Amino acid sequence: MCLRPRIKLSLLDKRILNFLQEDIAFVERPWQLIAKKLDIKEDQLLKTIVSLRRQGIIRRISAVFSPRKLSFVPTLVAAKISPKYIEKVARRINLYAEVTHNYRRNAEYNLWFTLIARDTKRIAQIITRLKKDKNIKKISEFPAIKIFKINVRFPLNCS
Amino acid sequence: MFSKLDKSIISLISQDIPYVKEPFKALSLKLGIRQGVLLKRLKYYKDNNFLRKFCVSLNHRKIDYWHNAMVVWNIPEEFVDKVGSLMAAFAQVTHCYQREKASDWNYNLYSMIHGRTKKECLDVVKCICKKIGCKDYRVLFSSEEYKKTAAKY
Repeated sequence: MCLRPRIKLSLLDKRILNFLQEDIAFVERPWQLIAKKLDIKEDQLLKTIVSLRRQGIIRRISAVFSPRKLSFVPTLVAAKISPKYIEKVARRINLYAEVTHNYRRNAEYNLWFTLIARDTKRIAQIITRLKKDKNIKKISEFPAIKIFKINVRFPLNCS
Repeated sequence: MFSKLDKSIISLISQDIPYVKEPFKALSLKLGIRQGVLLKRLKYYKDNNFLRKFCVSLNHRKIDYWHNAMVVWNIPEEFVDKVGSLMAAFAQVTHCYQREKASDWNYNLYSMIHGRTKKECLDVVKCICKKIGCKDYRVLFSSEEYKKTAAKY
């Protein structure tokens, strides 16, 4: 089984992470604004953020755009791959900059990845290329028809 | 629709920012523009829904949200809207999409659930099941994360 890294978060870490998962304001001193709400000093907040980033708890702080609104095309693709080759194929798929997420899952379609590409032509091109990979038994695209929700948030218990 | 400057801003701000007191000042220096111009453009993207959210992205496995289940459902076309909205109302559901089916994949509604344990995820699935009365579904837990990165524009 996988090793679970034990990282002990302090109450303050958790409070900070809960705040940072909300929209961060576009102002000159964003940390000052959040620090005030947390009733701590700006320096302390920034220091903690840097430490959480160093520990890999924070992956990044960035803007999430709606790909469609930027005229990009997002999609979901699944592939059936013999377990023996799945790591190798996954690594190959990851080479495409358009691949944003790639997970192994427990089903016949055992590899699921998302693409955000500049147009549908590019998506078709990537899929066509992957179809030639002998280790991929089947590959299917599952484009979204309707979005009901996108809200990635992991509430951390502060009680 | 977007100027060259917009494209540079979007490409830069969709990756990690500098961890300094004035991150937007640092970014504006990189772009060769004034901070005020950058802040104005960012607010414009946000107000017009180009930008969903400016926030932290966490490594969920490191904060003990170890498990992620992609639940796929076969919902009759005429009920998809209603069921999709019901699923979206669950706090533990982070994503919910209607998607095309395939000849060997008869599922059209997808919901992503994160939890600290598998049981926590499955409890949410049970709850949803009860609410929508659908028995034709599958839970696909992820066993390996090969990539998770920001979109590159």
